Amino acid sequence: MSMNELLARFHDVAANPSAQMKKYLAEGKKVVLTAPVYTPEEIIHSMGLVPMGAWGGDLVLDRAKEYFPAFICSIMQSILELGMKGTYDGASAIVIPSLCDSLKCLGQNWKYAVPGIPFIPMTYPQNRNNEVGKTFVKAGYRRVAADLEKATGAVFSEEALAESIKVYNKHNAVMRKLDEALASHPEVTNAQRSDVYKSAFFMTKEEHTVLAEKLLSALNETPASGKVKIVTSGILCDAPSLLESFDALGFQIVADDVAAESRQYRTDAPEKPEALDALAEKFAAMDNCSVLFDVEKKRADLIVKTAQERGAKAVVLVLTKFCDPEEFDAVPVRRACEAADLPFVLIEVDRQMADLGQARTILETLRDSLNA
Amino acid sequence: MAEEVVVKKTRPPLDPNSAKFKLGQIAAKAYSDAMEAKARGEKVGWISSNFPVEIPETLGIHVCYPENQAAGIAARGGGARLCEVAEADGYSNDICAYARISLAYAKIKDAPEQNMPQPDFVLCCNNICNCMIKWYENLAKDLNIPFIMLDIPFNPDNEVSDEQVAYVKGQFLAAIKQLEEITGKKWSDERFKEVMENSCRTSRAWLDATAQAKYTPSPFNGFDLLNHMAVMVTARGKVEAAEAMETLAREYKENHANGKSTFRGEEKHRIMFEGIACWPWLRVTATGLRDRGINMVTTIYADAFGFIYDDFDSMIRAYCRVPNSINLETSRDKRIKLCKDNNVEGLLVHVNRSCKLWSGFMNEMSRQIGEACDIPVTSFDGDQADPRNFSEAQYDTRVQGLTEIMETRKEAKA
Repeated sequence: MSMNELLARFHDVAANPSAQMKKYLAEGKKVVLTAPVYTPEEIIHSMGLVPMGAWGGDLVLDRAKEYFPAFICSIMQSILELGMKGTYDGASAIVIPSLCDSLKCLGQNWKYAVPGIPFIPMTYPQNRNNEVGKTFVKAGYRRVAADLEKATGAVFSEEALAESIKVYNKHNAVMRKLDEALASHPEVTNAQRSDVYKSAFFMTKEEHTVLAEKLLSALNETPASGKVKIVTSGILCDAPSLLESFDALGFQIVADDVAAESRQYRTDAPEKPEALDALAEKFAAMDNCSVLFDVEKKRADLIVKTAQERGAKAVVLVLTKFCDPEEFDAVPVRRACEAADLPFVLIEVDRQMADLGQARTILETLRDSLNA
Repeated sequence: MAEEVVVKKTRPPLDPNSAKFKLGQIAAKAYSDAMEAKARGEKVGWISSNFPVEIPETLGIHVCYPENQAAGIAARGGGARLCEVAEADGYSNDICAYARISLAYAKIKDAPEQNMPQPDFVLCCNNICNCMIKWYENLAKDLNIPFIMLDIPFNPDNEVSDEQVAYVKGQFLAAIKQLEEITGKKWSDERFKEVMENSCRTSRAWLDATAQAKYTPSPFNGFDLLNHMAVMVTARGKVEAAEAMETLAREYKENHANGKSTFRGEEKHRIMFEGIACWPWLRVTATGLRDRGINMVTTIYADAFGFIYDDFDSMIRAYCRVPNSINLETSRDKRIKLCKDNNVEGLLVHVNRSCKLWSGFMNEMSRQIGEACDIPVTSFDGDQADPRNFSEAQYDTRVQGLTEIMETRKEAKA
């Protein structure tokens, strides 16, 4: 397959999650929804179930308003909306971690708003990199496995988990390679880059790894580019209108600190005799994220370092409106960029934005200032 | 043109033996003690409201409560001013107003409405929200001070698991060690035992006092609780707090025996108020109820500060059960009990723009409470500390609507 054919395939999957779900269900597989962020997919995968990302969608909110007040982020609202509308019908369960306050509320509302799809909570520790934290996260994983057994009839085993961890570590490695490679391939548009990441939520990791490896091989010689290199940061950066603006204005995303993109691929589970220990070690080692306790705010430094290494001219924080963790981090991230003489802009987005308006103006101004 | 004559009411001085006087003194002393400790060169901390008070109290460390300070600043009219300082620094106006006020105060270090010493460390417990972690991360980063984190995760189950107790206990012990290193003070098991006893004694008295709303009419105006709560937050491990709360319970019982109440006027209706107070609009929200003869007889705070436990493990379990750390069903059942115990006739819900966790599943929970107790439910939009997020007209309309429903139901029953 050529690069363009592969990119078209990623797009098809990214744009049609329902079709993917139907395909898996038709194959006799059971699908488990995984809400943001850091849902332990390895456990779901190890039980022979298909994890599918549930990060909401760009749709008008209607029924979710029966449950959520207006000031809860549109990711949570639209996940609930899709659940209530029946879009996720056929799924055997949803796993929702409680790493932010709105996620806690999503889980509680889900039980009543979408009673047909069982809610499985994943409770993570914030004091994670010590013995009590690791023990607690293992208890959380065991609980998810037990709830999945109940909801699906599938069986959990540490042996199978060890195999799934290998699958996920391999996918992580390929995604990190791809991230690096795409930085020097401006011919891949930002919308296409987003498809590569987004599609990973709707395919098994084995399938996605194969496609991603093919794309790596298919990337051609680097053509010259007049594009302005940027680093994006935030929870989600997949709105078609936003990506279209990045592309139309001549920006190239050369790296990201986006929860739905590279953040999830930074950390591998180490090799351990017990697979659950390995998974607990993985979570303990995770960092540089707005929903993980980080008193040093290392995330801000990482963004700056990444931008410098990739030769980015600016950092664009794509802030999901009403996302507390990102709103708090926005200030230290901006300060870190300013201290490094790295232009920084913040654009506020939500999943109901048909017209980017103000965000586009901010991006135009950024481009003009960088080209001046 | 008639000359307007303004008669300023003078209030009689408070009886120094009254609960109100004692509680006011304790709340004020918490700030002055911390100021004096700081002046003496002792290390002083900032602490979140449901961090186990037993730790600093046992160690003899002076701490201040930014949430309490923010509420005080907001109630005295400084909320918008400080929020705007934080917003000028880039903080979104969607962020919790307590956090905005606190981050602004850490920067400008002066607010005549309620000053407190700057911290040498912060003590954060997220059993009320994860927003707390982000707020304190930024404080610690801005001020370059140590951060002690006690993570008590939201519990999706009805019971607190042994695994959660073990996790919290491990952190509890680590926090003590960290604090000993920072402050040079030493932990004493004997003192800890005293503090636990005081805390339970204060909590028992608080529960006893708030339970007097079971009488109709209630011997107190529920808005009293919002003021007295400050002592439950900041000082429940002190023996003075236990004594003052016992005085409060005694006074309420005497009020009932003598047919008196701190609620002025006839108590026509009894409601539960859900959510944090609208501190910038406290008078408006209180008057809107009182003028209609509505007494807010209970709030979840009546239950929230009932820290009753027997030993170390059950203390940990108590901190894992604070409101906002428990699931919808447990939260709902606590409120249903309060409504039933106190003959509540309506539920008024503050949809608090500052608090995503408190408001995020309140719609469903209040529907279930309304059904279980067969009472009308009304909500209004507001904010705990940002005065810009409240509409007096909307509040008035909603409360009027609730009043009419309660009246109609009473007439139908009569």
